[in-house]
Amino acid sequence: MYPLFEIPSVGGPMLIASIATFHILPSHVATGAFWMAYFIERKSINENRPELMEFLKRFTLSILIFCFVTGSLTGVGIWYSATVISPRAISGLIHNYVWGWATEWVFFIIEIVTIYVYFYTFGKVSNKTHLRIGLLYALAAWISMVIITGILGFMMTPGKWLTTGGFFDGFFNETYWPQLFTRTSMMFAIAGAYAAVVAGTLKDGGRDTIRKIAGRWGLGGIIAGALFTLWYYTKLPANALENIQQIAYTSMMLKVSLVIGVVMALYFLLLAFGKGGFVSPVVGILMMVVLFAGIGGGESVREIARRPYLIPGYMYSNQIIGHDMAAKGVSSEVEKFNSEGLLTNYPFIPEDLRVITADNYLKAGEVITKLECVACHTMEAGGRNSLADLEAGLTAAGIVTDILDDLASSYMPPFVGTEIEKRAAAAYMSDILLGGEATDADWVVNGD
Amino acid sequence: MEISAMLSQLRDPMGVPFFPVVFQVLMVLTFALHIFMVNIVVGGSFMAIWSRVKGGDYNLRLSKTLAKATTVNLSVAILLGIAPLLFVQVIYDPFWYSATLMSGWWSMLFLLIIMLGFLALYVFYLKGRNGTSGGGMFGWFTLGAVLFAGVIMHMLAMQSLHPEEWVKWYAPGGVMDTSGWAFNAFSIERFLHFIVPAFINTGIFMMLYAWYFKPRSDMDGAYLDWVAGVGAKMALYAFFVQIAIGFWFLLGLPAELNFIYNPWVWIAALLALVALGMVVKAQKDPIASAPILGLLSVVAVLGMSINREVLRMKYVGVYEYSIYDYPMSMDWGSTALFLATFVAGLVVIAYPIGIAFKAGRMSAEAAKEL
Repeated sequence: MYPLFEIPSVGGPMLIASIATFHILPSHVATGAFWMAYFIERKSINENRPELMEFLKRFTLSILIFCFVTGSLTGVGIWYSATVISPRAISGLIHNYVWGWATEWVFFIIEIVTIYVYFYTFGKVSNKTHLRIGLLYALAAWISMVIITGILGFMMTPGKWLTTGGFFDGFFNETYWPQLFTRTSMMFAIAGAYAAVVAGTLKDGGRDTIRKIAGRWGLGGIIAGALFTLWYYTKLPANALENIQQIAYTSMMLKVSLVIGVVMALYFLLLAFGKGGFVSPVVGILMMVVLFAGIGGGESVREIARRPYLIPGYMYSNQIIGHDMAAKGVSSEVEKFNSEGLLTNYPFIPEDLRVITADNYLKAGEVITKLECVACHTMEAGGRNSLADLEAGLTAAGIVTDILDDLASSYMPPFVGTEIEKRAAAAYMSDILLGGEATDADWVVNGD
Repeated sequence: MEISAMLSQLRDPMGVPFFPVVFQVLMVLTFALHIFMVNIVVGGSFMAIWSRVKGGDYNLRLSKTLAKATTVNLSVAILLGIAPLLFVQVIYDPFWYSATLMSGWWSMLFLLIIMLGFLALYVFYLKGRNGTSGGGMFGWFTLGAVLFAGVIMHMLAMQSLHPEEWVKWYAPGGVMDTSGWAFNAFSIERFLHFIVPAFINTGIFMMLYAWYFKPRSDMDGAYLDWVAGVGAKMALYAFFVQIAIGFWFLLGLPAELNFIYNPWVWIAALLALVALGMVVKAQKDPIASAPILGLLSVVAVLGMSINREVLRMKYVGVYEYSIYDYPMSMDWGSTALFLATFVAGLVVIAYPIGIAFKAGRMSAEAAKEL
């Protein structure tokens, strides 16, 4: 276990979620937009319409700024934010999928080289060569999605990896194909929405053609995406489906994303077949914000559905290894921590906190509480998913019996640690977080 | 808890999927390429601002070129930075995660500041696209952002090298500091040792620019000679500063590490001497010397990168940590996937790079045939 990083009131998951949700926009524009660009460039050449080429120049420059500045950095941002909230989970993923990420990185190199060459050779090389470079970019960008989807799917359904530990057994998991098809469809929808923003900045003839293309691609993408999402849901494990139904927040977010899906489909329909008078950068950006909210809903569902795990069947949400992983020679930490104690095995506290006494139990309880809970909960009243709110009105003894002893029956990881550690954590929650009466030190230390 | 036991406990229990030395070599190689590009970004943005502020025909042309080049260079620098960041987490995970977790907000700020700096760079570039002055404020912001990001990354690297301090930093007085604002380690001489080469490498980059466009009959030869001359001078002056900083850094290292007796230090010193000789010689005909100096500058940065890793091994070796005894859980399939993709990827990028290289050196009419 590593040092803890706490974000008061907002909580770590919100940090990851906001960056990850935003990242989907530029990353899917980056993967989807150049298929559309290839189509438009061919049209421009075949129909001799130079104004479409002018759009493509503007489109590419905007992609360089939107996707290769905010997109690439928020991509690293997901990685960083997940690291500072759940370093052991990132470490687990990296120690399995380092070559997967490294392979994806090779495709990033191809992307970056081809898009800059594409942009700086507009009108400078033959049409055939320019088209070929654009297509090369589109392919490389999509293959980077083919790779990352395997790792994303693994985090929901690790499949046979749990028994074999094999890279490809986890990569081609139960949700891999439906998720790849969903993301592939959605990249056209998101790229369509983005192209409509750029089309709104055009003043002349290309504008009407582009917004119609954007609408058609977007509509096709969102309808196909919805169908593949249904397929994805049929592949989810039973506990994930149960979480979606039972956790009020998750079912609400699912509804939000469904409604937004319908709104976006109508928007694309109007773009494709309407008169287009409403097309403008402001409307386009507004619809991107709506799309952002819809993606946020869908991503929240995906994230919460895998509770109580970060890596299902292996690591709990609080980074404690909950199950043996025989193929890699890893043993569950639950039994070890239950018998030896969590504090004994946490390297980042002073020696005098490892043994709980009548003098230090509140400090020790704070360490235990935060180690086990801070990955999902905030501490203070009024915070997001706040422990103080969830436990309001309980005494330390009540927290032990009503909550900590009963965690595993819900979508929460079980409390891990010795009985005295459990009481110390409960005392910290009751005395400090809830501001209750001082818990009897004798009860904490001796259990009576 | 004893430090070596702590480090061993913190290692990922699943082990590494291939020989650790392979990750180490890739980490050193990609870090060298990354820091080389960072150098050109720092030096290039400085020169772009400086020449725009100075004004005049040549200066504004140089500013426009360097601003445009820096947008590409910063993209490439970020991309190349991902790889060493990935590999360090494979073999030095206890160090990287411990240092980063104590400074969670700093590591998030690192990304935000680069993003804002990059956006400002585009404003700076677009404002000067027509060879006009102005926009310098955005340029300064970019330079400041990149340097500040470097300060954060340097601090994280320094924190990671001192596991003996971690508990004191994280729980001063026995109370955990979970705020993520820890900023505990900084070595100005080490930081400068990686930043001052920015001016050497950018100088050489400017010489290469002149060399590249020299064959174009429609380019202004006198301007290209001027650019190469300015670059060569800048590289020379920065070289002297770098030598002084090198001594400062080397002599300031903890004596017990015995780093100065390491053969890699002497190889790097020898390389530096050869490079200095070349830079002095290049003052006479900067354009002709550009290709060989370009190659030498990459090799020199690789030498620095190797020494950086050797130094890290010395630091962690004090606590009996060695990447070579990291438990392995071999995965041949995924290793083959990466290696095959890597080779194929190099072949694929040769095509667009070749097209761009040829197109840039030809007249507009001739390039249309490509």
